[in-house]
Amino acid sequence: MNLDYSIVIAKFPILLEGCWVTLQISFFSLLLGMIFGIAGALCRISSNSILNSLAFLYVWIIRGTPVMVQLFILYFGLPQLGIKLSSMTAGILGLAINTGAYITEIIRAGIQAVDKGQMEAAVSLGMNYRQAMVRIIGPQAAKICIPPLVNQFIMTLKNSSIASLVTIVELLRTGEQLIYTTFRSFEVYTTIAVLYLIMNSFFMVVADKLEKRMARQ
Amino acid sequence: MSYIVEMKDIYKSFGDIEVLKGFNLKLREKEKVVIIGPSGSGKSTVLRCINRLEPIQRGSIIFAGDEITTKTDLCMLRTHIGMVFQRFNLFPHKTVLENIIEAPTIVKKMPLDTAKDIAIQILDRVGLADKQSSYPKELSGGQQQRVAIARALAMSPKIMLFDEPTSALDPELVGEVLLVMKDLAMEGMTMVVVTHEMDFAREVADRVIFMDQGIIVEEGTPHEFFANPACERTKMFLKRIKH
Repeated sequence: MNLDYSIVIAKFPILLEGCWVTLQISFFSLLLGMIFGIAGALCRISSNSILNSLAFLYVWIIRGTPVMVQLFILYFGLPQLGIKLSSMTAGILGLAINTGAYITEIIRAGIQAVDKGQMEAAVSLGMNYRQAMVRIIGPQAAKICIPPLVNQFIMTLKNSSIASLVTIVELLRTGEQLIYTTFRSFEVYTTIAVLYLIMNSFFMVVADKLEKRMARQ
Repeated sequence: MSYIVEMKDIYKSFGDIEVLKGFNLKLREKEKVVIIGPSGSGKSTVLRCINRLEPIQRGSIIFAGDEITTKTDLCMLRTHIGMVFQRFNLFPHKTVLENIIEAPTIVKKMPLDTAKDIAIQILDRVGLADKQSSYPKELSGGQQQRVAIARALAMSPKIMLFDEPTSALDPELVGEVLLVMKDLAMEGMTMVVVTHEMDFAREVADRVIFMDQGIIVEEGTPHEFFANPACERTKMFLKRIKH
């Protein structure tokens, strides 16, 4: 056995740059995904049948197809129709569309899990639908949504590795480039795994704190 | 004679099940009406139609002289109608005080200080002045229901609807809620109460209504109703709930 982590240590700043790109992709796709998800969930519970069907279709298509295929369509497929996206745009947009579909379902389920009596109490006091959703249903649904949302955030951060396939040089791709020149697969891949683990642990710690804080109510 | 609520020939169904079949009710200001009847008789539905929580299929509802049957902007109407639910429905993420000031500040745009002053006064009235910063889950069922009553009162409603307010409570907690309701009745609040508490009906009601299968079977003052029920169905119901 000849393991030599000194090469990894020497090239560590490059790997950190990869981490930074991974974090950027994840951050922006989650931000956008949350917007898609909230909009999608509101459409799913809306009484407007067109909005409702559109959101249903969105969730159905995205959940039923591989995220890799979705990214390939955006990056390699769309140029054929004259729409050329940069790899970063395609990567972030693709991951956002993908995670947004799952977040739609998480938030929809969260809203519907809030006791019906809450909406009835709110409107009985004279609140309109928007006031009731924002002030009464929303905060309670948010609490219910935290654990599954954390899961989804973690999934998205890991899925960002797929963006390497549309030529984004994020953590995984950075590592692979390092392997081409050093042939140290084991050392590099294990280091990458640890770096993903650290980034995700950050999510988990924050989520844990948030959950504990909200549990008081 | 003017009425605060007039329900005329109300038909209401849930899917294929017809719950109200030509229901009529006229309610005078300051009147206290208690509705009793077996489960599924449509008692709660009557209350939920008054503040339009349930849409109706036929008939008309007039509130304080306004035809509200097909009204679409219901917020204003609902500020005049206080509703108390069987399962309290307090907002669990808000403290007692926040529960009470929520609607006055958000719906009526009342200044926060004014709303707080009013809330504290009302909390005092229901005997919970010391609980204003508690969360609902830290309170007993009886206390929660008193907060729910306070929350409805904070909107200064013209009428209060009580939908089986003590049915979800442990027996020893029923009394404290009924006491608050009795006080409210004494102060002259117009009230419609769906309940199984016959003593409360006897003591507080101006009129007792017995419902079965979506219509009023019998109604009268508590004295004539309990002493001399005319209908066979009323007699059977009263006999059954005594045991």
